[in-house]
Amino acid sequence: MSQIYEIKLRIEEKIKKDKLDENEVKGKIGLKAGKLLAFITAGTPDDPAAVAKLKAAAKEVLNLSL
Amino acid sequence: MKWNSIRTKVLVTLLGCLVVGVAGIVGLMRYSFERNSQALAAESVTGAQKLFTILEAREISKMTAVSEMLATNPQVRDAFAARDRERLLELTAPLYPELKREGITNWMFHTPEPNMVVFLRLHNPSKFGDALNRYIDKQVVSTHALVSGNELAKAGFAVRILRPFPDSTGGVAGYLELGEELGQFIHTMKEQTGSDYGLLLNKNYMDRQFWADSSKVWKRRDDWDDNPNFVIADKTTADNSIFRFQGDLANVPEHGEVLGRFQDGNSVFVRGIFPVRDAAGNTVGAMFVVRDISGFYVVMKHTQTVLVALTIAALALVTVLVLTLLSRLVFRRLDHIVMVATRVVGGDYKTAIHVSSDDEVGQFEQLFEQFRQVFVDVLAHVPELQEQQPSAGAQAREARAGTP
Repeated sequence: MSQIYEIKLRIEEKIKKDKLDENEVKGKIGLKAGKLLAFITAGTPDDPAAVAKLKAAAKEVLNLSL
Repeated sequence: MKWNSIRTKVLVTLLGCLVVGVAGIVGLMRYSFERNSQALAAESVTGAQKLFTILEAREISKMTAVSEMLATNPQVRDAFAARDRERLLELTAPLYPELKREGITNWMFHTPEPNMVVFLRLHNPSKFGDALNRYIDKQVVSTHALVSGNELAKAGFAVRILRPFPDSTGGVAGYLELGEELGQFIHTMKEQTGSDYGLLLNKNYMDRQFWADSSKVWKRRDDWDDNPNFVIADKTTADNSIFRFQGDLANVPEHGEVLGRFQDGNSVFVRGIFPVRDAAGNTVGAMFVVRDISGFYVVMKHTQTVLVALTIAALALVTVLVLTLLSRLVFRRLDHIVMVATRVVGGDYKTAIHVSSDDEVGQFEQLFEQFRQVFVDVLAHVPELQEQQPSAGAQAREARAGTP
């Protein structure tokens, strides 16, 4: 399982836990990270730049430290 | 508040308009007040000068009439021709208090030339025999006709008439002089206009010792040293400070001069000055005019406050209207587009953008909705999404199928 997919799962977990609007939050993170979260699968290869952007977006939108 | 937002920029622009508007109004009101106060001062000077001239002419006319009456009185005529001072005093003394009540404070009989000395002073009978040698004395001797004008003498600055006084044969028995203190005029002028006046006398034509002596007699403070060039002979107010003048009275223009505005506590005054010449044409004095324009100033201030308040209220209303309009027509709709775009990226392929109008933002809504549909259509065909995210792919296909 790639690191970027793990991050996606952590984000989804946090959304469920906090009962947030999934589409809105994923949209915000996706726009900030420049990536569609729907496209991130277990087989998505790790791109250090993409991982860093996704982490920063998750931190900014959800205050989630990864 | 975001400093680079359109709301902030519009708000700052409107606030700028407000500041400029208020500053403009205040500036305009001040300019208007300056112009009006200048006009009021000029009008006060012109009006006072005219009134002074009218009063002067009226008093000359009055004294001329009195002199005619005396000249036609055979008893007075004969007593003067006979140089009978006691008889002349006996005949005229009862009349003097009456004339004095009417302002005629100087009354003299002069012997004819070449000596031309004072034969009788009704206002000071014990003093006689002195020669005055004034400009009007020389004038009446040379013309043998009535002369009039202002003359500064030891007895004060007065408007005088001097005329030949006939004997029973029609010859010149001597001269009759009547005079009124110019200082009295200013009180009449104050009654008529409400402004304050001060009669200033040029020190160049004054005698220092006489001023000190007369100050003692009149029980007034010797103010010789108060001003470098003039003394205040008479004034309608107890306050000397409003008669501030640094210039030379001799240089005051013929038609007067506006000296500007000054404030004393809550009162605002405009001041002006016009020259008072003697019979020889010398500027021996000047009339100082002080007009209280506090009422006008208060009205101007009130108008200014009302205009500023109205401007602030109007611009506040405009600000609220503009921001409300911008919010309804632009910001709210842009927020909706942003929200839909965000949700599409987040996986919501069903929420569409409602095109609310065909205005500029409406055209953008329409364009963005078309873009969204294309985006959803693309997603529906992405194999990666279909294979690995069947639910997302199905949603996209469903949304695409539901697209009108």
